[in-house]
Amino acid sequence: MNDFIDPDASEVTINKKTELPLVWFLPLIALLVSGWLIAKSYNEKGPVITISFPTAEGLEVDKTKIKYLNVEIGKVTAISISDDLKTIVITAQMNSTAAGYLNQNTSFWVVRPQVGLGGISGLGTLLSGPYIAIKPGDGSKENHFTGLTTPPLLKNNTDGTHFILETNNLGSMKPGTPINFHGITVGEVLSHKLSDEANAIRLTIFINKPYDQFVRKNTRFWIDSGIDLSAGTDGFKVRTGPLISLLSGGIAFRASAEDTIENIQPEYSLFPLYDTYTLSTQIVYQNTLKYVMYFNGSVRGLTVGAPVQIRGIPIGKVTEINLELDKKTAEIHIPVTVELEPDRIKEINNDNNISDKDVMAQLINKGLRAQLQTGSLLTGQLLVDLDFHPKSKIVLSDNKSVYPEFPTTASSLDQFTHSANIIMDKVAKLPLEDLTAEANKTLQSLQGTSKAATGMLVTAQGTLDTADKTMASAHQVLSIMEPGSTTHYELEQLLQELTQAASSVKQLTDYLEQNPNSLIRGKKDQ
Amino acid sequence: MHPRLPNSFQRTAALLLSAFCLYIPANIFPIMTVTRLGVGEPHTIIGGIIALINGNMVPIAMLVLVASILVPLLKLLGISLLLLNVHYRWQSHTKKWTILYRIIAFVGRWSMLDIFMISILVSLVDMGSVAQVIAGPAATAFAAVVVLTMLAAKNFDPRLIWDNQR
Repeated sequence: MNDFIDPDASEVTINKKTELPLVWFLPLIALLVSGWLIAKSYNEKGPVITISFPTAEGLEVDKTKIKYLNVEIGKVTAISISDDLKTIVITAQMNSTAAGYLNQNTSFWVVRPQVGLGGISGLGTLLSGPYIAIKPGDGSKENHFTGLTTPPLLKNNTDGTHFILETNNLGSMKPGTPINFHGITVGEVLSHKLSDEANAIRLTIFINKPYDQFVRKNTRFWIDSGIDLSAGTDGFKVRTGPLISLLSGGIAFRASAEDTIENIQPEYSLFPLYDTYTLSTQIVYQNTLKYVMYFNGSVRGLTVGAPVQIRGIPIGKVTEINLELDKKTAEIHIPVTVELEPDRIKEINNDNNISDKDVMAQLINKGLRAQLQTGSLLTGQLLVDLDFHPKSKIVLSDNKSVYPEFPTTASSLDQFTHSANIIMDKVAKLPLEDLTAEANKTLQSLQGTSKAATGMLVTAQGTLDTADKTMASAHQVLSIMEPGSTTHYELEQLLQELTQAASSVKQLTDYLEQNPNSLIRGKKDQ
Repeated sequence: MHPRLPNSFQRTAALLLSAFCLYIPANIFPIMTVTRLGVGEPHTIIGGIIALINGNMVPIAMLVLVASILVPLLKLLGISLLLLNVHYRWQSHTKKWTILYRIIAFVGRWSMLDIFMISILVSLVDMGSVAQVIAGPAATAFAAVVVLTMLAAKNFDPRLIWDNQR
């Protein structure tokens, strides 16, 4: 130990500065950072809500998320069974951003994979597990909700209008059935219920903006099922709608050209729903004239609704076909009630004093008659054709019905049958048996002739053979007679000698002619 | 040249406090999210250990437990005790305290194992929706805790223990 103290050294005061080293900033920063992190996570926590569902299938604590438009805004924190043991209560922690969505009319539903005719949805949940979707609604703030069992029909709050359609038959219409406008899907059916009078079904439909402005006073809605096949008097007609309608049914509508922007119908207006496109295009005429017609022939092929036409232009339709039996006279009548729509005819020289009935009477007097005609050879449907037959008489039957009678004339088919019958009778009267007997005889003699001819031919054949042989031998002979052969040479000699002999005989005969007495006296030497 | 590390006590105390502060978020917030085919959820350290146990990977769970929970706690506690020792001049078992200090200084770095594992997983398993590992905020906090305790152990001068002995 050093005891030596320097006497000169003065008192040394050691100044120990108590300085706070910069190191202390570190815990401060750490404190701040962790404090901020914790505070931030608390701030992000929104309200805790409960949702009751009938089943918790697929839902897991701390895993199942609550999503709006696929953005996660909450998570399930607990699943428990309600007190009455009927529902499951799910406690969920929502984010603070979701606080604004939690109102009275907000709906929750579980998104699971769904396969339906309208399409397949929710396939992503096969891998990631079901999640709870939310559709915010309005109303006061609420923390306890009841979840829906099926997803709501409008998943987002799209703009549009609701309307009501009335139809006789629900058919294949169901929630989700698409509604298309010129082929674009612009809305869907939401729900249906029975009308107040219980004679029709009322469908609530929703049309998106901006297509709802086309729903005006004269807009027509019709059922546009996949294939519209009709067989009428015009023949077969096929109309097809979009493929989705084939499977799930569909409704189409079109606006009328007469409507303008002012005619836009308000929300929840009522429209009729027509069964087919054709029905929707028909203009309904109010003014009708009813007549009764009695046809003589068969009315097979004539149906209620068959058109009545004048020279091909429809002017009405058949409304009833009845069968009447007169008990007293045991006669059968077939009264056909037709409904004519005079408004279809454009009138010229209009005279308001003459009623439609009078005009009809005038036309009947001029020869207007009703006739059954074949509308389509393929389907055999008949229609009633009105035309002028000036020569026909008015033949009226005993009309007991309310409506005036319209005179008829036989249909062209009937006339054709009649003429055909006459021809058939004539053909039947022909003496066919005699003709056949004659024909038989002729045939027999012909047969005999042919037999003889055959015999002749055989003989001729023999003659020809002989001729053949003769020819062969003649050929042989001729070959002998050829110029180089000796026979020929000898023949030549012979001919020369014969010629000489002939000339000397000629001389003799000439001499004798001149001197015929030389025969007695002999030749004189001169 | 200093006879003792300058301001050893204060520095160690500050670093220890920071480590404590950051240890809380390291355990509250999720450290890692493992997503397989779109299914996955974030896990805290303790949650991860439980998940490993449930997945029948008990040895790995024990490893994580030791490296991520026990060792940091040991370090935090140990250094705080050493600081208390120095401050309140405890007299007994000085040698044992020194041994404790040596253990802490040596073992400290092995807590980085956890962070190492997380960083390798995050960089290797990046296959989109098939499998993905994402590190959470607790990973950063935990790494900071380990670094701070290592610094605290390094800044603690064990000779201070002996200084207080009479």
